[in-house]
Amino acid sequence: MSKPISRRKWLASVPALGGVLLTGCTRERFVPPRVRGGLIGAADVLTMSTNRLLLSGQQLAREFPRSEIADPFPTWNQTNPRNEEYQRHASEEFRNYRLPITGLVQRPRELSLDEIKSLPARTQITAHVCEQGWSAIGEWTGAPLHSVLEAAGGVTPAARYVVIDTFDRWYEGYDLFEVAHPQTILAYGLNGGDLPRGNGAPLRLRVERQCGYKNLKFLRSIQVVDSMAGFGKGTGGTNSDFGFHWYAGV
Amino acid sequence: MDSAAISELPPPAATTKSTAHPYSVRICHWINVVACAYLLVSGVHILLDFPELYWGNTGYRGYPAVFRLADWGLSWDAAGALGDRRWGRNYHFTFAWVFLINGLVYVGWNLYSRHFRDQMLPARNELTVARIGTELRDHFRWAARKHSSSGSYGTLQKTSYLILIFVFVPLMTLTGIAQSPGFTAAMPWLLDLFGGRQSARTLHTIGTVLLVLFVIVHVLEVVAAGFLIKVRSMITGK
Repeated sequence: MSKPISRRKWLASVPALGGVLLTGCTRERFVPPRVRGGLIGAADVLTMSTNRLLLSGQQLAREFPRSEIADPFPTWNQTNPRNEEYQRHASEEFRNYRLPITGLVQRPRELSLDEIKSLPARTQITAHVCEQGWSAIGEWTGAPLHSVLEAAGGVTPAARYVVIDTFDRWYEGYDLFEVAHPQTILAYGLNGGDLPRGNGAPLRLRVERQCGYKNLKFLRSIQVVDSMAGFGKGTGGTNSDFGFHWYAGV
Repeated sequence: MDSAAISELPPPAATTKSTAHPYSVRICHWINVVACAYLLVSGVHILLDFPELYWGNTGYRGYPAVFRLADWGLSWDAAGALGDRRWGRNYHFTFAWVFLINGLVYVGWNLYSRHFRDQMLPARNELTVARIGTELRDHFRWAARKHSSSGSYGTLQKTSYLILIFVFVPLMTLTGIAQSPGFTAAMPWLLDLFGGRQSARTLHTIGTVLLVLFVIVHVLEVVAAGFLIKVRSMITGK
């Protein structure tokens, strides 16, 4: 006969159960790092949490047939950072380029372009959706961001955001739900060739469920953090420091 | 000639009567006015910052466009200087939520209070060709007050409100979110429904023009029926 579970024992299991239910249901998944004031902030939270509830199955963004690819893919905004370090890497065809992965990972390290290319690759034909209104379809090839983080031993339990910064002096934070998505990749290929400089060589981020401005080009480093407070104005990214939405699913 | 048809209608009011609008209509109406004003102005700002429209999934500067503001005398740079899309996007998405929540409250409240059934669903005898023909003719003669000044809605008025609320507004909402990479990842059928993200953007813009025309006609009708009395009744309910 099994012993009846004592009340104390049963109560002790509640936090554990709560922990299981709340896994992946963190505040960061539904609310921007810093909520703006007033109605605009309320709308930001509504938009992000509605999106994240609808996307709780981590559905893939639409992938299109080859016939819809834009080739050459349009270039927009920065196409060649003046940064001295960038120009040196570009002149060496990025042979000496290293992507540092630091912060809240088990084994901080640097990855060369070849090492990133040796990770399991993913190719996806998806639409780049610019917040300005234009959209174009490209075939992106790259390493999933979560595989890149796993190459550094994976994130520690305290990790909340992945911060990416670029040679043209942009930074953006991404919550772990976005990072875990299979289509979130560091792309080194476009339309079957190497990623052209005008589209962000050597690496550009693809976050297919958010607008173009979250798809950073010319990646310089990856840092895993527990808070966005120490970066820029603390809103979570360059675009939101300028007053755009941090969560760019619309 | 068809005096028989006219005699079926209530006699023309000598003076316009006010309409006893319930709270559910008055509160939602004025919230809606504010939300739509913000949506329109912010939407124009967003469009001015990329003043071309396309069809399908693809559209960028240099790609064949179905509409270019430059063809109508406003160059890309001049349009961009007029539009502020950061302001536009912040307020467009904020008031889209105000509009949507207000609309859901309005529909829920008026289904519950039976306002739709009692006041807005045209009765069978209102849906005859003769009746609608007479109303149409009177509208073009600037005599609509025969039909709507009596305190209840005319048939054309009821029909156009119902189409607006249950067909047009849902289509505007869906063409709006069909442009969003987040919502379309969750609901990719939106892209198929409208023929692509750029098609949705084009349809959303055409819908805006139609909505502005609706508001112009709506306000003209209010003027024709007696502006001050009608506006007062939409505020006080008396």
